[in-house]
Amino acid sequence: MKAAALGAADHQLTVPRRWLLFILPAVLALSVFAFATLQPIQVLPRIRPAPAFRVTDQAGRRLTNEDLRGQVVLYTFRPLRCAAACEPTDAIMRAMQEYARALSADETPLRLVTMLFDSEPLSPETLQAFAQARGADPARWWMVSGDPAGLKQTIGAGFEVYYAAGPDGEYAFEPAIVLVDALGIIRGDYRGRTQNLDVATIRRQIAVLQSEIRNDQGVNRLAYEAAHFFLCYAH
Amino acid sequence: MVVIGLGSAAWLVVRLWPYRYHGLLLEPATPVADFALTGPEGRPVRLSDFRGKVTVLYFGYTYCPDVCPTTLAELARALQRVGRRADQVQVIMITVDPERDTPEILARYLAHFDARFLGLSGTAAEIAAAATPLGIYFAKHEGTAATGYLVDHTATVAVIDRDGYLRLVFPFGTPGEDIASDLIHLLK
Repeated sequence: MKAAALGAADHQLTVPRRWLLFILPAVLALSVFAFATLQPIQVLPRIRPAPAFRVTDQAGRRLTNEDLRGQVVLYTFRPLRCAAACEPTDAIMRAMQEYARALSADETPLRLVTMLFDSEPLSPETLQAFAQARGADPARWWMVSGDPAGLKQTIGAGFEVYYAAGPDGEYAFEPAIVLVDALGIIRGDYRGRTQNLDVATIRRQIAVLQSEIRNDQGVNRLAYEAAHFFLCYAH
Repeated sequence: MVVIGLGSAAWLVVRLWPYRYHGLLLEPATPVADFALTGPEGRPVRLSDFRGKVTVLYFGYTYCPDVCPTTLAELARALQRVGRRADQVQVIMITVDPERDTPEILARYLAHFDARFLGLSGTAAEIAAAATPLGIYFAKHEGTAATGYLVDHTATVAVIDRDGYLRLVFPFGTPGEDIASDLIHLLK
């Protein structure tokens, strides 16, 4: 009688255990599906390394890509003389300078770099006047120039912003802003004619990047890597 | 029955769980522009010659006092751990000091770490064309009388997959075991 009761109890126990065989993989699959579709964590794609460069800023200081490691950087590219075509980009950079100023101390600093790709290297005085005309804070926004061949390699081959001077000396190019993270990886590429080039998008994406930099440690790193794996990209 | 079932489920979870790379995984992977440099005995070597293999690119120089030998030792350890599939991996060091690093000097230096490592040199412009798009900065600066000049350079390691796409970047100091683990996964 006692043995029969025990056998019955065993039987009752084995039923939920069998169900576990189906429930566990189902829960796992559902979790993965939910993570990939609901995207509780969003990231920016790791596009490619930002190119190397050595340039001179408006204070006459040498600036290299290595000097900017550890900081989030927005790059833009233009010739010195470029009125209408460059005004929208300049306006965005001015707005981003204000955004950079307002970042709290625990966030990764945001720096701005405007690369001027004229056919001759520009003097620090010219860069200084150019910076002042745009209200650039020398602690946050650097206007830089350098060897034209080196810049062509950096901007063209590295940032994939192509430009060419026409017979009248005017440059043909697509205005672009490129976002680079603290490790020197390109995380955002905003183009004037082909993608959203606006302050709201860039601010939103920088906030996503700052959140990743702040939280991508310890156990959280697994969640962020999963977000990269499932292409949970912020738009 | 239950134990076998749970074991199978656990095995499935492990097999299907996305692999977490130790290096920075670049997504979407982008193709690396081909370049030509000078290899051993002065023969021309193109990056595209290594299509079909996983290529590990490092930029350094033989007079480098600390960073380069440390990285190369880790890469040698990684290659050892990859084991018999290491023949599908090519480690290349491109010199950032072409004035002093001739192909012969490079070959001799690299053989101290692993005989399978390949050293490439070229003109400063050729090396810059290969380095710049990969984010590798280099510039000479004065050292001491004993060392001569030194070369500041980015110390990351780039990994290009069999199809010529840049897939991973290892920061300086990544252990050889971690590099090996990522390489083994890329070889699957």
